Amino acid sequence: MRALRRAVTWFGLPVLLVLVWWLVSGGSFYLPDPLKVVRAFWDTWVSARAFEDVLPSLGRLLLGYVAATLLGVGLGVLVGLSPRLRATLEPVLEFFRAIPPPVLVPLLMLLAGIDTPMKVLVIVSGCVWPILLNTVEGVRALDEVLADTCRMYGVRGGSRLRRFVLRGASPQIMAGLRQALSIGIILMVISEMFASSSGLGFTIVLFQRQFQIAEMWSGILLLGLIGLALSFLFRLLERRVLSWYYGSGAARA
Amino acid sequence: MLEISELRKVYESPNRVVEAIRSLTFSVGEGELVCVVGPSGCGKTTLLRSIAGLLPVSGGEVRLAGSPVTGPPPRMAVVFQEYGRSLFPWMTVRQNVELPLKEKRVPPSRRAELVADSLEAVGLGDAADAHPWQLSGGMQQRVAIARAVAYEPQVLLMDEPFAAVDAQTRADLEDLILRLWRDLGVTTLFVTHDIDEAVYLGQRVIVLSSSPTVIMEDLKVDLPAERDQLTTRSLPRFGELRGHIYEQIQRAREAR
Ligand SMILES: Nc1ncnc2c1ncn2[C@@H]1O[C@H](COP(=O)(O)OP(=O)(O)OP(=O)(O)O)[C@@H](O)[C@H]1O
Ligand SMILES: [Mg+2]
Repeated sequence: MRALRRAVTWFGLPVLLVLVWWLVSGGSFYLPDPLKVVRAFWDTWVSARAFEDVLPSLGRLLLGYVAATLLGVGLGVLVGLSPRLRATLEPVLEFFRAIPPPVLVPLLMLLAGIDTPMKVLVIVSGCVWPILLNTVEGVRALDEVLADTCRMYGVRGGSRLRRFVLRGASPQIMAGLRQALSIGIILMVISEMFASSSGLGFTIVLFQRQFQIAEMWSGILLLGLIGLALSFLFRLLERRVLSWYYGSGAARA
Repeated sequence: MLEISELRKVYESPNRVVEAIRSLTFSVGEGELVCVVGPSGCGKTTLLRSIAGLLPVSGGEVRLAGSPVTGPPPRMAVVFQEYGRSLFPWMTVRQNVELPLKEKRVPPSRRAELVADSLEAVGLGDAADAHPWQLSGGMQQRVAIARAVAYEPQVLLMDEPFAAVDAQTRADLEDLILRLWRDLGVTTLFVTHDIDEAVYLGQRVIVLSSSPTVIMEDLKVDLPAERDQLTTRSLPRFGELRGHIYEQIQRAREAR
């Protein structure tokens, strides 16, 4: 009974949406019914394409995301710990953050070509800002009694960074990483739509141009599933890293 | 051991200037236990933080074993008034107590021993694997005390460490501090707002005026060295000392 209710809350809405889709999909050429899309999904993505288009896309996403994390957290800690640096940099950072990263694609194409480096750079340039700004915020909000405790008991240098600064700022850092993840997926697709010969974004545009409508839809479905899987993985990580934060009730306060 | 001379502290912010401490001069001998009492807001925490080298002073100086204190000295431990915020919520109780020892590069076996002993001493032997936020306020306070004790400091500063515990635990902790102080010979400065506690624990009691703060009285507690909750507190001399200090604090209040 319990399991049934769980299943209903989890799958109820998706099933309903698919049903609605089925009902409205009847006549239109541009909106094929779910069965067709699922078949296209199987034929299109469960094939060599998974290695030629999907994996490279995900690889670039991972690379860009990791680079943005290192850069954002590293710089964020530096800026957060130094009030002077913060005062000079903050307006500039806010400005860069306000630029929508897709407009950087043409620029980065000029600077870095159209291959992998450009695409990774686009992802980095979009993901780094939420990570950076959230890290700065988290480091700035560190408890001063804890900071005094560190000073008193000789906790300094790398140990202070690992055991106090990064841990204490981790709730905000994780919030930044979460925002960056969805931005990263968007930019992964966009960077491949501009100038490319492979990748998920490229393939979806290609299907659209060739009027392979069911295939195009299946690509969109795949992107949705990838996003879902990544956010699930992220949640697992977050649970582990922030268990103290949720347990202590600080998250609710 | 600890010499405070003409210490002065003024907090200055753009819209407010607070003279927290006007001028304080006193010293604490090696191995002595001195209590500081004073009304709320008189600058007890400010005094302690200045001695610990956590706060730049506005005048005068603090000397520890002859050399001026400019930053937190090694071998000095503090139990902060905000004990709850002084524990790392992402560490267990054991890790909290162990961290300073790791930084001091105490070998692992000795470390385990110190942690176990100090937690045992404050009655938290079985809470070692809990996180601080799973403990009550009084238990958290005892973790902070255990951490300070395990550090084996030369000088121990405590800021109202028993504010959040019930009367019975408080009495036990008072005796614990006395025992540790006697066993380890650690120089101790103990801030409290409880006059009875100050007289019971201290070899000396320093009474502070209300802000701007000066010393009202530096009183030697001439009670027998061996203290006991029942007998010491019922000595006639205990009542006299306590009455005397109470009067002083009352006067400090009125003078405001
Ligand atoms: N960081 C600060 N900035 C400005 N003023 C401060 C600061 N800290 C303390 N003060 C002021 O200094 C005075 C003394 O404060 P302090 O915390 O030392 O008192 P206290 O004796 O410890 O009080 P309590 O018994 O309530 O803990 C108060 O008037 C307080 O407002
Ligand atoms: Mg105080």
